[in-house]
Amino acid sequence: MLNYKFLSALSVGLCVVSLSMAQNPEISPARKQAIDSLALEKVRDLSKYISIIGNKKTPFSEATRVMDRAEELFAPDSEMGVSSLNRKEINYYKVRKYFERLMALNYDKVTISWYDIHYISDLERQPDGRYVGVVTIYQRFEGTSDDGLKYKDTTKKDITIYVEKKKTQIQGRTIEFWDVMLGDIRVSETSA
Amino acid sequence: MKSALVFTTLILLSLSLQAQLVDEDDESKLYAANKQVNQFFRRFNGEEDEKGERYYPKDRLYRSEKLRKKYIGILFDANNAGITPELKVEFTKDVIDKEKPGILNFHGGNWFSEVHTLFLMNGKEVPITLFMELEKHHQGTRWVISKVYADIFRPSFERDTVKVGKFLHPLSHELDFMNLRKAFSNPDSVSQYTLKKFVPDHLSIFLYEIKKGNLKFKTVQEVKFHFFQIDGWYFELSQFNRPGYNTGWLISNLVKIKNESEKNLLRKYVYYETK
Repeated sequence: MLNYKFLSALSVGLCVVSLSMAQNPEISPARKQAIDSLALEKVRDLSKYISIIGNKKTPFSEATRVMDRAEELFAPDSEMGVSSLNRKEINYYKVRKYFERLMALNYDKVTISWYDIHYISDLERQPDGRYVGVVTIYQRFEGTSDDGLKYKDTTKKDITIYVEKKKTQIQGRTIEFWDVMLGDIRVSETSA
Repeated sequence: MKSALVFTTLILLSLSLQAQLVDEDDESKLYAANKQVNQFFRRFNGEEDEKGERYYPKDRLYRSEKLRKKYIGILFDANNAGITPELKVEFTKDVIDKEKPGILNFHGGNWFSEVHTLFLMNGKEVPITLFMELEKHHQGTRWVISKVYADIFRPSFERDTVKVGKFLHPLSHELDFMNLRKAFSNPDSVSQYTLKKFVPDHLSIFLYEIKKGNLKFKTVQEVKFHFFQIDGWYFELSQFNRPGYNTGWLISNLVKIKNESEKNLLRKYVYYETK
């Protein structure tokens, strides 16, 4: 399967390839918008995967496959840093561990929904030449046990995105494109 | 075939889950919040619309006085009575001044972060404050530790400079400083043999203790920022996670600075420096 994400990345690449040839380290507004769209697409993929993994109706085998797919969105070594209203300290989990904990939560029904709001930071260049940004989204979680006990929270998720120029060969031609990977995520409970 | 089926199931499931969005009242509060420090910068400078979409120099409202005035009013911690309305008005007037507007610049220096962390020292939790700043490096920038402050390091350097105390007499050099043996025999008084104006450097001790394996990182507890970038002003930026519309990254302290010596004094205070 020539995957969909690759095609999205390539489309960003193709629309900006002439600019990238100019070797200008600054990202133009047009390119930034294209990168933002790709980053948001990845973040939406992650949101969907989290909803599926958390859903108690999702069979184990399918949840495992979704976890694999979700992990592919991330750069190696990415972590989730989690805190709550009662505990400001950050607890650290590897991404896979975080998904596994989400799947194993002790509720009979889990509903994960997302606020229709996001905030995308500017992109900054880091020492290795890659660009980094942060996308903020909000998640509403509701867990219910069979005896009717409910737990609700809203969490803010600040998601690192790494933006990198890559090259690929298509029919003998080298095409440059911009790719987006997710990185560390800060998960903090909010009072909303 | 099997993978196609799984993919279709995923799409259908995800569509039904995505449709469960939450109510608009909560959402308007989230729009109002300064969700990132980046958003604080943009709102302060008048560089985005109310939905958080970036304005660029070609846009009519980019850094417009009207937009900045509207935004700056909501960038303060409204519960802080210490920041008087008069001070806010004076600050706002200064930063939106037509001739010399005060614009925050991410790469402009004169702002830094104060990060409250917890480390473990011999299994016991100890708070350590890191001061971080942005530094240019190779193709981009990075956050680096510029200073450290830790209560646990203080007792090692405390000394009474008023008392005569212990000393090496002025002719010690004639004896090849043989009396150093006595000076170093009691670790409690060793700091009395240093220069009066000696200032201990907590960052060096911090690095040394980490390298020796005595300090292990545990967690971050709190982050705030100090800004000396606007001429004649200092402000502190803290994160407020509470109900309502006045949330996120907000100005939690504002001080008008009269001169360079006041500025230096304030900097020392922020860095926990006494000398």
